[in-house]
Amino acid sequence: MPSSTPKKSSKKEDSEDYSPKKSQEKKKPVKKDEKAAGRDIRGFGAQKSSGSSSTAGNGTGKKPITIDDSDEEEEIVEKKPAPKANTSKHFASASSSKKPIVLDSSDSDTPAPRPKAKPPTPKAKAPTPKAKPTSAKRKILIDSEEESEEEVEDVKPAKKRQSLGAGLSSRSNGKKPSYVDSDSESEEKDEPPKSKAKSKVPVKGKKEKSASSMDVDESEDSDSEDFIDDEKDEKPKKGKGKPKPKASPAKKSTPAKKAPAPAPKAGKKDVDEEKQVKAEEKKPANNNWRAAAAARAAGPKAPGSRDIAQGEPDSLAGLTFVFTGEMESLGREDAQELVKRLSGKVTSAPSGKTSFVVVGENAGASKLKTIKEKKIPTMTEDEFFEFIRSRKGGQLDEKQIKARQAEEKKIQQQALEMEKREKEEETDRKRKERALEGTASAQLWTTKYAPQNLREICGNKTVVERLGTWLKDWQKNYDSGFKKPGKDGTGIYRAILISGPPGIGKTTSAHLMAKEAGYNPIELNASDARSKKLVENSTNIDNTSLDGYFQGKGIQSTSVADVRVDSRTCLIMDEVDGMSAGDRGGVGALNALIKKTRIPMILICNDRSLQKMKPLQSTTFNMTFRRPQPAEIRSRIMSILFKEKLKIPANVVDELVKGVNSDIRQVLNMLSTFKLSKDQMDFDEGKELVKVNEKNTIMTPFTITDKLTGPYAFSKTSKETLNDRMELYFHDFSFVPLFIQEHYLKTQPALTNTLSGAEQNLKHLELVSKAADAISDGDLIDRMIHGSEQHWSLLPFHAVQSTVKPASLIYGPGRSQGGPGGWGPAFPQWLGQNSKQGKLGRQLTDIQIRMRLKVSGGRNEIREQYMPLLASKIVLPLVQRGTDAVEETIEYMDEYFLGKDDWDALVELGVDSMAESLISKKIPSATKSAFTRQYNKSDHPIAFHKGDMFAASKKKIADMGPAPDNEDVFEEDEAVPDEPSDKGENDDSEDEVNDVSKDKLIKAVKPKGATAAKGKAKPKAKK
Amino acid sequence: MSLWVDKYRPRSLDELHYHPELSSRLRSLAASGDFPHILFYGPSGAGKKTRIMCTLRELYGPGVEKLRIDQRVFVTPSNRKLDVNVVQSNYHIELTPSDVGMYDRVVIQDILKEIAQTQQVDLNAKQRFKVVIINEADALTRDAQAALRRTMEKYMNNMRLILCANSTSKIIAPIRSRCLLVRVAAPSDDDMTKVLQHVAKKERFSLPSPVTKSILSTSQGNLRKALLVFEAMKMQRPDLTGDIEVAKPDWETYCSKIADSIIQEQSAQRLLDVRGKIYELLSHCIPPTVVLKTISERIVDRVDDALKPQIVHWAAYYELRMRMGSKKIFHLEAFIAKVMTVYKQFNMIGYTEDYE
Repeated sequence: MPSSTPKKSSKKEDSEDYSPKKSQEKKKPVKKDEKAAGRDIRGFGAQKSSGSSSTAGNGTGKKPITIDDSDEEEEIVEKKPAPKANTSKHFASASSSKKPIVLDSSDSDTPAPRPKAKPPTPKAKAPTPKAKPTSAKRKILIDSEEESEEEVEDVKPAKKRQSLGAGLSSRSNGKKPSYVDSDSESEEKDEPPKSKAKSKVPVKGKKEKSASSMDVDESEDSDSEDFIDDEKDEKPKKGKGKPKPKASPAKKSTPAKKAPAPAPKAGKKDVDEEKQVKAEEKKPANNNWRAAAAARAAGPKAPGSRDIAQGEPDSLAGLTFVFTGEMESLGREDAQELVKRLSGKVTSAPSGKTSFVVVGENAGASKLKTIKEKKIPTMTEDEFFEFIRSRKGGQLDEKQIKARQAEEKKIQQQALEMEKREKEEETDRKRKERALEGTASAQLWTTKYAPQNLREICGNKTVVERLGTWLKDWQKNYDSGFKKPGKDGTGIYRAILISGPPGIGKTTSAHLMAKEAGYNPIELNASDARSKKLVENSTNIDNTSLDGYFQGKGIQSTSVADVRVDSRTCLIMDEVDGMSAGDRGGVGALNALIKKTRIPMILICNDRSLQKMKPLQSTTFNMTFRRPQPAEIRSRIMSILFKEKLKIPANVVDELVKGVNSDIRQVLNMLSTFKLSKDQMDFDEGKELVKVNEKNTIMTPFTITDKLTGPYAFSKTSKETLNDRMELYFHDFSFVPLFIQEHYLKTQPALTNTLSGAEQNLKHLELVSKAADAISDGDLIDRMIHGSEQHWSLLPFHAVQSTVKPASLIYGPGRSQGGPGGWGPAFPQWLGQNSKQGKLGRQLTDIQIRMRLKVSGGRNEIREQYMPLLASKIVLPLVQRGTDAVEETIEYMDEYFLGKDDWDALVELGVDSMAESLISKKIPSATKSAFTRQYNKSDHPIAFHKGDMFAASKKKIADMGPAPDNEDVFEEDEAVPDEPSDKGENDDSEDEVNDVSKDKLIKAVKPKGATAAKGKAKPKAKK
Repeated sequence: MSLWVDKYRPRSLDELHYHPELSSRLRSLAASGDFPHILFYGPSGAGKKTRIMCTLRELYGPGVEKLRIDQRVFVTPSNRKLDVNVVQSNYHIELTPSDVGMYDRVVIQDILKEIAQTQQVDLNAKQRFKVVIINEADALTRDAQAALRRTMEKYMNNMRLILCANSTSKIIAPIRSRCLLVRVAAPSDDDMTKVLQHVAKKERFSLPSPVTKSILSTSQGNLRKALLVFEAMKMQRPDLTGDIEVAKPDWETYCSKIADSIIQEQSAQRLLDVRGKIYELLSHCIPPTVVLKTISERIVDRVDDALKPQIVHWAAYYELRMRMGSKKIFHLEAFIAKVMTVYKQFNMIGYTEDYE
């Protein structure tokens, strides 16, 4: 059997090789003009990669196949058929129906290709559903050769519906793919077993891969299967029309498909229900929330199977959408983005205000329930696209228009206000400082548009108001000695600590409120030195220091940072958590200052949970600023934009604000930079801008592992490139490999999903073995990096071998480990185990060196050979005979110079039946205490004084200092001292111990120095 | 009260039970006054250290048996403090540089040089040189060995080196060429029987031959192991009659259990369980190569003949990687995953693909 299958596969390769030409010839007459018209989802999602890969794939199809890692390839080809062969019969039919590839349904009767941007005419809708049944048939053909590891549940009505747009694209470059159809078709007929198709797959994958560099180079069968899927997804879609005649024979073989096919015609509810049922039936493995979450994140199963509708701008304005379940051609994020792009609104849960719910596969049960209850209209993915296409731009109803107008008015008003104020300021400034050239336009936007009154502050309104009342009441509270808490409990505090993320207006609010309350704010920030001394001196608030007086500046005693402080001053300490090493004692001094301050103090920090902020917790009122909602910022930004004559729609602004986590300052900076080049911004540009300005976040190894091994991490829809994945490794390249190693056995690989029972287990094992090999390779590389050779340039290679490759093999939902918190990556055991090994290793060395006086063996010999017997002499007797054996045990221990600590270590070193946990349980506590007591009571020979020696030698080292330049000093007592102790040592071994200890003491004083001196002295003498 | 293995250790060259030609050569070397650097090598438990001590006794007299332990502390270039235990008599010093792992070079450079630069101070000593014994010389890193090489020549007047290793293959050629290579072969079965009989006689009991046989088969030429097993057996069944099972050490039974559980079930979950057990062994100071060897031997015992060569092949393959790599468990795990896959494939479809 093994011999025959590879042969077949090779045959296939051949046939595939020339088939493109054939098919191309056949197809040539078909129109090929609108190549660019169709744009698939992949192009939408990852424009760069998919576009290039699909064309490249076509190109390489004709070329001779070049396989870079050929040995791997062979392995796959040989191995694959083998396990499968047994079951191929059962699988053959199933596999053929498993992966419906969306074929273009709208073959002949599709209306003429429409430009993408245009919404389809209502007529266009009609033909589509009709075309469905045929499309289903056709699809089957193509699928039959399809491998499809994971998506069993793809058999879906929705799938079959082919979007019109796809029709366009397929028509455009439809020539090439048809060979796939014909090829597989013929083969399907005479050779049903799956093995063939399988063996063929990797080869194609390689082709594709070599063309598109975006993926793991050495990806094995699993990977290449993914690729195949991708490729095929695209190809059949493009190949249109041709397969029709061939469709009929295969149709019968896959009755499973038929049932769902007409479904879309039925009412939406039916569809929903059916879907729900399906979700329950077909996806038991994924029935956990984790998989669901991952699936949501992972995106569509058949990306690009439909053309993305390009609605008119604002066409969805005023509508609220909810997406539930998994869509086929479009990831959820993409879908949401689509809606937002068209000014629609997306919420996460359906409610009364929801206009439509777009239902995908595996829709959440609870959502479906609410939908039913609230009678919200639902639509399928295709209907959704259709809807978008059909909708005219700017179909706003009265109310919305009004609302919009009102908003615009408001914005303009605000802008006007700004302008007015600016002018005033301008004139003011001009009047004041004519010499200075600084005009308004030279100012940063963040300064220029800093809020000037309470109304203009975005978000955190209540907190800011409270700050204002606290400031207003401060003098009153001061007079009452901070005893009355007041309404909001702020009355007992002399200072307020504001905390919150950057860029949300903390400093601005503090300044503003201080001014509003009639105070004169003085700000000290990280640019001012704020050490204890400086805080005490420079903020000489209670006039205890005379240095102002002695400095001869008169009685100008109360000043902060050279600014006179009076009772109407408010001290703002910005960036308190930035008080660092340079500002020693700063926080403490600040705290002392707070306790006696006679002016209000506002402290500002980013993170008040820091350890060094602890002292301030009790003396200040904690006030937390939150990130404002995008809606809170929007109008402000919009008015600024209006003022600056930048045309940016509201939804884009929202996107920008969200993209930078509501950091107002950053949005303004971004926009002011953007204005330099352009006056308008559309949705995509906005996205891009956000992406460019994205702050680099460090992910934890846990999330990285989760991301790399998630259920769909390497599925064909995953848009991440090899580089993206390696990037994850570089987040923390010392830990991530360990996490992967810890986790790789704990998944149910997605690549085994199509198999079941023993087959699945075997496949799982094979994957695990490959992953383990990769990890093992990774370790060898690690050794080259961290070993003596220090080849740090190998890090990327290490990333692939230790992290990406194993993950690519075993990605999938986690298996339950049975315990609580069993989900998710665990902290690597290796670290703990390694340090335990180190610790026990040191103890073993200790034991060995003590026993060395009697025993010849090294450490390993002690552990492997002595220890079992020794345990039966000094441990087991205690277990068996209890207290009686204590004497004997101690005698034995003395014989080998073992102490009580060593006894403990020896017990700890046992495994299996000698494991510490077992043994210590077996020894009665009475025996233990008797043993300890007895041991402490008697004297014991010791091999050496470890502690003394250690201290002495430490001292020696210290004494010797950096350079032992003491040759002259020691010259005289050369050679003498070793003698006396050495000579008289021919007594019994009992005395030996004493001698040894004596030696130690003597040694501790002299030998190193003496020997060193000798060493140094000698060459001198020679001279 | 010592264990027999220590109690009946020969103390002089005359008392040695086997390799008489080696003993006589060592004797004449010691007598010649031109004592070379010597590299003793041979398997564990063959009697290398015993012979070294006997030779030293021959050189210096009984004074060399007065051992004491000194703990040296020194600082690495990276400012780490290291303890090195030094066993010494008045005439010789014994070092185990591999105790400090990758810092062994510093030990060689600092301590050894310091010793080498000082002359023998005991005027009554029979020899004008001191002897430095370096244990586990084959575990010395390349750097350490390179550091050793010049010292050996330069300070030949003051010091002779005795290296003790299991195999010469990991010792660099320059060092091998500077030493007299002395191979201490594992004792033959007859030799071992002689020793066992000798011990039995001293302990005043007779040793039945089936017991000898079973001891010999388990100890595999390791005399130390043989004597320890012998004593354990005697403890277990003082009359030494009947069918005595040789008590296996704790780690060995644990390894067998791991092997059995691999044979019993092959799955990722089982591999995960096995990982835990291997961690247990490794953290309890069982060397990874021993774990690999014991497990694979046990598996080879239990699988179909057709699979045996494959298991051995993979064991060798991963042992090499283990030695080259740094995180041993990764390779052990890869080995077990491979064995599981191969075994399962074999059971399910009756054959496995060829290994390289």
